[in-house]
Amino acid sequence: MSRDVLVIGGGIAGIQASLDLAEQGFTVYLVERLPSIGGKMAQLDKTFPTNDCSICIMGPKLFEVERHPNTQLLTYTDVEAVKGGAGNFTVTVRKKARYVDEAKCTACGLCAEKCPVSVPDVFNMNMDTRSAIYKYFPQGIPSVYTIDDSVCRIFKGKKCNICAKICEAKAVNYEQKDAVFDLNVGAIIVATGFDVFDPSDIKPYGYGTIPDVITAMEFERLLNASGPTGGHLERLSSLNTKAEIEQLEKQIKHAKAGLKRAEKNGQNSDKVDEVKKRLAEMNESLDGLKAKEASLAELRDIAFVQCVGSRDLRYNAHCCSYGCMHSVKEAVVATEHESELKSTIFFTDMRAYGKEFHEYCLRGGSEYGIHFVRGRVAEIAQGDGGRPVVWCEDMDTRKVEQHPFDLVVLATACVPSQGSASLATMLGFNLDESGFVKTDPNKPVDTSVQGIFVCGCAQGPMDIPSSVSLASAAASMAVQTVKALG
Amino acid sequence: MSIQDLIERTKVSFCQDCGVCTGSCPVSRVLPGFSPQQMVGKFVLSADLGLEDEALSDRDMWSCLTCALCLQRCPSKVEYLEFVRAVREEAFRTGNKATFAHDGVIETIVNMQRGGLHQNKTAWAREAGQIAESGEYYLFVGCLPYFDVLFRDMGISSLGSASHMLKMLNKLGIEPVVSDEERCCGHDLLWSGNVDVFKELAAFNIEMIKRCGSKKVIFGCPEGYVAFKAYYPLYFGELDFEVVHFYDLVGEQIKDGALKLSRVEEQTVTYHDPCRLGRMAGIYEAPRELIAGMPGMTLVEMERNRENAVCCGVSCWANCSSYSKQIQMDRLKEAEATGADALITACPKCKIHFTCALSSSDMKMEVKDLTEVMAASALEH
Repeated sequence: MSRDVLVIGGGIAGIQASLDLAEQGFTVYLVERLPSIGGKMAQLDKTFPTNDCSICIMGPKLFEVERHPNTQLLTYTDVEAVKGGAGNFTVTVRKKARYVDEAKCTACGLCAEKCPVSVPDVFNMNMDTRSAIYKYFPQGIPSVYTIDDSVCRIFKGKKCNICAKICEAKAVNYEQKDAVFDLNVGAIIVATGFDVFDPSDIKPYGYGTIPDVITAMEFERLLNASGPTGGHLERLSSLNTKAEIEQLEKQIKHAKAGLKRAEKNGQNSDKVDEVKKRLAEMNESLDGLKAKEASLAELRDIAFVQCVGSRDLRYNAHCCSYGCMHSVKEAVVATEHESELKSTIFFTDMRAYGKEFHEYCLRGGSEYGIHFVRGRVAEIAQGDGGRPVVWCEDMDTRKVEQHPFDLVVLATACVPSQGSASLATMLGFNLDESGFVKTDPNKPVDTSVQGIFVCGCAQGPMDIPSSVSLASAAASMAVQTVKALG
Repeated sequence: MSIQDLIERTKVSFCQDCGVCTGSCPVSRVLPGFSPQQMVGKFVLSADLGLEDEALSDRDMWSCLTCALCLQRCPSKVEYLEFVRAVREEAFRTGNKATFAHDGVIETIVNMQRGGLHQNKTAWAREAGQIAESGEYYLFVGCLPYFDVLFRDMGISSLGSASHMLKMLNKLGIEPVVSDEERCCGHDLLWSGNVDVFKELAAFNIEMIKRCGSKKVIFGCPEGYVAFKAYYPLYFGELDFEVVHFYDLVGEQIKDGALKLSRVEEQTVTYHDPCRLGRMAGIYEAPRELIAGMPGMTLVEMERNRENAVCCGVSCWANCSSYSKQIQMDRLKEAEATGADALITACPKCKIHFTCALSSSDMKMEVKDLTEVMAASALEH
């Protein structure tokens, strides 16, 4: 028997449920599979309908849930097995080795600076790079570094121990092992969130082939001050070109050094000429790339495409519930970054049903000049210079039109998180036809298993206010269970 | 069938009024006012108001290419194609007919095949290779002998494709039945609303193939293939022979090493997916594998390929018009933009339509039939 509660998932829903339980005096284990808690909300730039900074709302909550005497944070941890029932669950968890001692690490970041490995940064939607030893995001809690053993040189059998050498706190420990242990809890709250639908499945939208067609989450990171551009609004083609320029400049530098050496050593003139010729070619393509970059510098027209993979029987029948609102928000915020910017939102229906949502949309139109077009985008073609061209029937004028844009943002569907099906099997609760946790409309946080509750997007697509409300509801139901049975 | 039944059967009422169909429709882009979404809306309204007869006299329905792109993209999975087919069937009964290209000569040829007509359809085959009177394999030649006569002045040899198909089959040790008695597959009748004659010809073909004792019927033309594969069973139940596409059969043999593709002249080509072969039969990769399998051939893709390919501009010879030409020219320009020397198609009609469009332009693009291109590689050694 136990009066403790396990919360699975450290996004906004899991954090809120944990805080509510802790405040009521119950011990909470908050398990998160990633190195830091924060979830999807931590990746967002602003929240609707108030345009508050997302991480500014979230940061204090992250901190609070970590330091609360009644909570125990288990990050970088997977749930492996569950036994027992309401009032008395035994949960086996695996705390994965970070190869960094959480107690010693001061998060000074010197290790990441010196780490020779560079891999795509998942938090920044792969638009940036991080090192093998990394912090999931700047405000991430716990504020410690983690070694990604799938890319670290040490774990590939190569010579390196730069991070261990440079760490003044002596926190790096390549010998650290996973820790597997049991938790005894009276109730479980599932707050495993959602995944962003991969729009590359919808070929006519060109995601993955047209660089300036991006997802809403990618756009959030482009708007964000801790994002890949430091909050400077840029198109992806421009970022790609910059990377190409950087690469080429490195090659040119290398070639110049080679030429100098060759000339100094008095190598035969054929070889010198060859290097000179190659250098000239590289300089020429560098000029080309620089001209291209200059042409991509201005970002004026953005399109937002709604219902990408949502309300579509071919992909997901359900509505993502927040897409209309986040597109309005992103258009508003983008205009605040760049006042000359023009945004067009192509929508199926404007679903602005929440408190002050409709007013927010109206303000988007009147104060920020958002152009709303009713009509679902049929296809995004590649226009001149690879510029995306949106084809759509305007349902008000009944005309099929094509419009070129600098950037197209796809409001992608909300899909169940990757591990949700296996978690459902492990815990024994049912899922609905969309793959979210099945609940009764009158008991929105009860799963089909007594003592296991659900909140946030694990239950179904919902926005932040709804996630927080359901989290408090789930915490309250968990209290009832542990008081009665635990 | 009443319009109301039709609306229910084809799930038209699932329409979200989102406009993806019209935004995708190749006709809507060049013929302002044409809209699959509005056509559906018109029929729904007519059923509500009791104005079915008026809706059935609509001429717009004949402008639809039945290319299935809207069906491919509809988020509500409205069975638009079946809707158009069934609406045309009802309209035809009330006397509303398509305007057929080439003064309706092809429609006449098709209708002539109803009676006891004797055709001399096998003469070319006896010259080209070995054929049988009966046996396991039947080679369905379809319209090719007629197209050969009709479009010879455009430099299109439709029988060339048929002969090469036969030669390749012979090389594989297959001596198929080719019959003088064979009738039109009925594809165009089906899509122009004339279902009674379609059924007549289909029944005749099924009976005739049965008499030949064939168990595998080979098609080079996607329209015949789809008519037999999807629509014959709809009216006649399961067929007692297998419907095989020539490219699938040849592809298997190449994989097994029974047929070898030798080096061809170095060239870059692009491939146009015919609607019937692609979206309707789901055959996208077999033709591509055959092209890529010919040493010397480089395949480049157009922006709109596979399930997103655009129609060749006309179907069942109905309502060929200036918008057809526009669709064809746009597609040819798309092919040209790939840098390819030739556009390869896998449907005799696509080849005719693109060749026709090219004849009035100065574009330097060649339109080729995959079977003929392949023959050069498979038979030259």
